[in-house]
Amino acid sequence: MAFIEVRNLRKVYRLGNEKVYALKNIDLEISKGEVCCILGTSGSGKSTLLNMLAGLEKPTRGDIFINGTNIAKLNEKKLARFRQENTGFVFQSYNLIPQLTALENVGMPLMFKGVPKRIRNKRTLAMLKAVGLGERMKHRPSQMSGGQQQRVGIARAFVAKPNVIFADEPTGNLDTKTTEDVMSLMVEMCRKHNLTLILVTHDLEIAGYADRIVHIIDGEITSIEENTPVYIPEEKTTDNETKEREDNKE
Amino acid sequence: MKISDMLKMCLRNLWRRKGRTLLTVTGVVIGSCAVIVMISLGIGMNKALDGMLASMGDLTAINIYNFNYGGASDEEKTPLDDAAVEAMEAIENVTCVIPKLQVDSSMVTIAAGKNDRYKMSWADIYGVDFSLFDKMNYSAEQGEMPTEAMYKDAVVFGNEMAYQFRDTKKKGQNSYTWKQELPDGTFSKPFVEPVGETIMFYINNSKKTDDEGNFLYGGRGYEHKLTGTTILAMDPNWETPYSIFIDIDLAKDIINDYNRLNGVRNTKGIDYTQVKIIVNDLDNVAAVQEEIEAMGFTASSMAQIREEMQGYLGIIQLVLGGLAAISLLVAAISITNTMIMSIYERTKEIGIMKVLGCFIGNIRIVFLMEAGLIGLLGGIMGTLISYGISAVMNMLGSGVFASMMGIAVEDSRISIIPIWLVLLALVFATIIGLISGFYPANRAVKISALEAIRNE
Repeated sequence: MAFIEVRNLRKVYRLGNEKVYALKNIDLEISKGEVCCILGTSGSGKSTLLNMLAGLEKPTRGDIFINGTNIAKLNEKKLARFRQENTGFVFQSYNLIPQLTALENVGMPLMFKGVPKRIRNKRTLAMLKAVGLGERMKHRPSQMSGGQQQRVGIARAFVAKPNVIFADEPTGNLDTKTTEDVMSLMVEMCRKHNLTLILVTHDLEIAGYADRIVHIIDGEITSIEENTPVYIPEEKTTDNETKEREDNKE
Repeated sequence: MKISDMLKMCLRNLWRRKGRTLLTVTGVVIGSCAVIVMISLGIGMNKALDGMLASMGDLTAINIYNFNYGGASDEEKTPLDDAAVEAMEAIENVTCVIPKLQVDSSMVTIAAGKNDRYKMSWADIYGVDFSLFDKMNYSAEQGEMPTEAMYKDAVVFGNEMAYQFRDTKKKGQNSYTWKQELPDGTFSKPFVEPVGETIMFYINNSKKTDDEGNFLYGGRGYEHKLTGTTILAMDPNWETPYSIFIDIDLAKDIINDYNRLNGVRNTKGIDYTQVKIIVNDLDNVAAVQEEIEAMGFTASSMAQIREEMQGYLGIIQLVLGGLAAISLLVAAISITNTMIMSIYERTKEIGIMKVLGCFIGNIRIVFLMEAGLIGLLGGIMGTLISYGISAVMNMLGSGVFASMMGIAVEDSRISIIPIWLVLLALVFATIIGLISGFYPANRAVKISALEAIRNE
């Protein structure tokens, strides 16, 4: 069985008396360590698919297996546990908590897991350093640029050592240069730890970072395209590169 | 999530909206203040009542008198005899039963001094078990309580009784003394200072009288030579001042001797004049009294009066407490309101927490903690302020209840806050907070993560 397997997935919304098919009949397999992009226009159902893969929404019909678990069948508590252990999220609007410092924001998934504060802070700081924000651990989101905020978001997604990262338009609010930085960072970290990255976007540029591009139109997968990623990090030099990039920026 | 993390999160949330938190806490402060002060007034009133009753008599005592109002003839009346005493001793919570046997004043002549110069014309003479004397809360003003070896030879005087001795060698006013306070603060002296004196009990012959109409003594063998051991201090029930106490067995002997001397037939045996029952606790007095009355005796106790008065006080307290409770209810509603507002503000945060894998149970606990903490904080501040209010009231209104009841009490505080009331207030305020937080917490838990994080 593939790492992620989606079978006969359907999602129907009711709008008054009308049924709206957000997803019609999705079958999809994604393997471990793959960078997979779900590409579609607004309203194509790509976000719905991501939400269901992440267990944020229940499908009307069908199964979603992640790492052997059918998350469509989990109850709320088990889903929370599943998210703690398997998933990381990167959002378009970062979704950081404004009152918390970068350190506290990144530490949240560990806090929910019940990791003691001392260990948590150690791991969180290491992760902040890995995304090049070690100096900014005490800063609040409002004191950081969009790119920096998204790096905090990435650190938060990776800190709990998940198996799969979900990224919903992660660069939607960023300029071209920062987009490149953020995408490289994210892909690089996934490659390094052999994590699966599921990327939802309408941007072809972004899709270029993926191994495979899943085209989705009106709730149906129209084609799956193999792709040669535009950016492949060099082995073992990644840490230095991150630092360099940070230095250039400052 | 660790408890410490949840606590920290909830403190941070409360701190984030300091002003609003403070206002909500103030509501609880007012509510808990009102409740604490009202209850403390109630406790003060009860204390004053008990103080008043205690000054009127022993609260744990029940007195049973050997008479009945029902108009029943002597045959129908339940005899107050040894069997009855035993039955009373068997009642639950009874500490001791003290029968009293009165020796009629006409049966004996009490005399003292050389050649029986001083005689007592009249006295209430009671036979009691001296070993139970301390249970009756009697204490010595002069001399010492009779010891076991001398029970049968001892005679104990009420503090007015020494003045009942008359000088037979004098006439008119000069033959009497009165207890009166002298200008130097001491009291006038009676003819006989009974402690340590020999006191003679002569059994009277009811058929022979002297010139003044006093009975004459029955002759050799019909006298008892006793020693005055004690003058009793005034007791709370005012039972002793005009009484003389001898051992109960001696009293029985005297009555039997008298009956033999004067040919009185007694077929019923000894019938006690009065029985005093001491109950182990104030709160059990009513139940014991009921049982005794069911046995057919006439009984009276201070507890009965206390119960009635407590009933009235209870109604007053209920009204006051009810008013106070309303303010606490308002505070509870304001906690709920604050929490709901807070949830609206934090919808996105809650959504993010859910997406990142926070258990909904933890979210619920954080919100309950916040509400509970508002309650607890209000409770703590309310308690402190209540102490202040209580102190001011005691300063201004000291002794108000006592003077209302027309007595002086040692503890004249009108508001009393015992430690249990403080603990109760804190627990209660916290519970109010938790209950108020219940609905908002459930709302927080139901927030859809997806809605909350949806891109704006």
